[in-house]
Amino acid sequence: MAKGPDPTRAPDDWQALSQQYWNAWADATRKAFGSAADATAPDKTPWHEGLEQWSRMFDARGAGGTQSEVVERLLAGARSYFALLQSLAETGADGKADPQAWAERLRGSFNFPGADAALLDNPLARALRELAGHGAKGFEQMMKGMQPAMAEARALLDLPAFGYAREHQEHYQRMAKAWLDYQQETNRYNALIARASRRAFEVFEDKLAERGEPGRQVDSVRGLYDLWVDAAEDAYAEVALSDEFREVYGALVNAQMRVRQDVQREVERVATDLGMPTRTEIDSMGKRLHALHRDAKNRAEALPELVAEVAALRAEVERLKAGGVKPASQPARKTAARKAPRKTGKKPGKE
Amino acid sequence: MEPIRIDPRRALDDAMRAQQKLAASFRTLREVDDVDYGATEKEAIYREDKVVVYRYKGKAEPTAKAPILICYALVNRPYMVDLQDDRSLVKNLLALGEDVYIIDWGYPDGGDRWLTLDDYINGYIRRSVAAVAKHAGVEKINLLGICQGGAFSLCFASLYQDKLQNLITMVTPVDFHTKDNMLSHWTRDMDVDLFVDTLGNVPADLMNWCYLTLKPVRLNQQKYVAMLDILDDKAELENFLRMEKWIFDSPDQAGEAFREFIRDFYQGNKLVKGGLEIGGKPISLKNITIPVLNIFAEQDHLVPPSASRPLGEYIGTTDYTQLAFKGGHIGIYVSGRAQREVPPAIHEWLAKRTK
Repeated sequence: MAKGPDPTRAPDDWQALSQQYWNAWADATRKAFGSAADATAPDKTPWHEGLEQWSRMFDARGAGGTQSEVVERLLAGARSYFALLQSLAETGADGKADPQAWAERLRGSFNFPGADAALLDNPLARALRELAGHGAKGFEQMMKGMQPAMAEARALLDLPAFGYAREHQEHYQRMAKAWLDYQQETNRYNALIARASRRAFEVFEDKLAERGEPGRQVDSVRGLYDLWVDAAEDAYAEVALSDEFREVYGALVNAQMRVRQDVQREVERVATDLGMPTRTEIDSMGKRLHALHRDAKNRAEALPELVAEVAALRAEVERLKAGGVKPASQPARKTAARKAPRKTGKKPGKE
Repeated sequence: MEPIRIDPRRALDDAMRAQQKLAASFRTLREVDDVDYGATEKEAIYREDKVVVYRYKGKAEPTAKAPILICYALVNRPYMVDLQDDRSLVKNLLALGEDVYIIDWGYPDGGDRWLTLDDYINGYIRRSVAAVAKHAGVEKINLLGICQGGAFSLCFASLYQDKLQNLITMVTPVDFHTKDNMLSHWTRDMDVDLFVDTLGNVPADLMNWCYLTLKPVRLNQQKYVAMLDILDDKAELENFLRMEKWIFDSPDQAGEAFREFIRDFYQGNKLVKGGLEIGGKPISLKNITIPVLNIFAEQDHLVPPSASRPLGEYIGTTDYTQLAFKGGHIGIYVSGRAQREVPPAIHEWLAKRTK
């Protein structure tokens, strides 16, 4: 059987190895970047600081484009992992080993120094927040920009609208209502994500308990991290596939759209006052243009057939003029013959 | 027995290795070329609005009797099928003698806001099929629909199967209401009219955000932790970045087409329940009597196998073949296994049926 770590010596080992680790890191950083690396004592410095330091090097060297984007994404993704690495390496040395204790350590590792307190014990919310989707970020930024207007609107919310500005007042009241609804739906959504996070630790414990069997033990931090990811995704899927989540998700999306729509109306109102074109006007023109474009395409597609039909008719007229030759049995001519006035021997218009 | 047996020395070694790779990445990340995609030369044979139909050029003349037209989804760029030299469904099909064409939908903008599924299926696809048939000098072609493009291809085949010899669907959703279809589950209580009326075209970033939230930890953290392993390997890093580029190089979605797709497919599940109409023309899978090959991925989180598998129950053809592939939604095009298994399976199936 493989020789495992000696629990009694582990804390000493950790101190020595940790120091060794930081020395090596500082050395590697100096070689790679040609700069003095931070020689802070290991017990005071979170490991993910190494990662932050790495990313700052890119800033300093003015890396741009793809590289800086990659660095940003990697930083967001790997920060938690490094914190976990440190946490587990530190606490793994104390000899406790039951699944619940490991789950507690894991939970602690997500609350690393510098982490957002609002995301305490909530790694799934962290993962969702770290998504670099501008579609979502743009809305968050818009909401921040709306805060002053919202503050004003809240004050007006309960007042009856009257007088010259009653339309505006009602509009602000509607905006405020939509904003409050959105906040409420966001809270419901966040509550479900927090539930998924709690459930993730339970699933992790279960998965860990299964690893107690010989040959299935977790022997690396990466292995443990991967097991945690499996647990987190299983727990998230459990919640995300529930009827409750479906209802809350729909309500959240709808609430956000109502807020956006109210903001759009406000922007349109201002644009109209300033004599600027609005999106409603552009949409209206776009819709008409699209209908015309489609109509033109359909006509263009039908044109060759029409041209053939006209040619056939002309040919038939010529034949008739030339002495009444019987029409040939081509499909276009058949159609033409059906549509043409019955041959009566009289001139057109004389019947 | 203890479930975890991590040697602190090994943990530190792992951390050290990660840091060394981070240090090395400062060099490799600056050295990586601006990743490009598309391994195979191609020529445009048809253009309409933003749509372009390309024909891929193989090293030798095709030996297949009829060409394949690939109809990709609207939600990503079609170059996934020809990502790079050693990861290319197209290249492998060409090497087997197939004649391959593809529809590139382009990037819709505000001018495309009012495009409907009628425009896409009765318009663009129908005219693209005609253009390929004319270019190849045949009456009927083979259509290969991927993901949402597969659903479009099924609709097209239901209406115009006289233009087709065979139909192949890959990772195509058919039954949108299976229990494990998370994406569909989330759309069910969404007011899609409010959504499209508000947003107009649906921004690509919003779509990507939605896809990433299907597996938030795996797709947003674990993937980048795994990236640590390849930070010192320029070639691997370029492969990774190429894939990243594809994932996030997404077109906005034309608002009206999006509205119809969510309402009729995701919410209404009309492809299997019935009642689907495209441009006023009724769609029925029972109408499809040409041979059909349905390929799906067993670990697909976007289109779960349960959504693809039911095609056999609803389709009218008596010549139906199903192929389950071990892999995910993307792996079916880019994994090493996919290169070995998928193109020959398509080629052999077509060879037995194409006249």
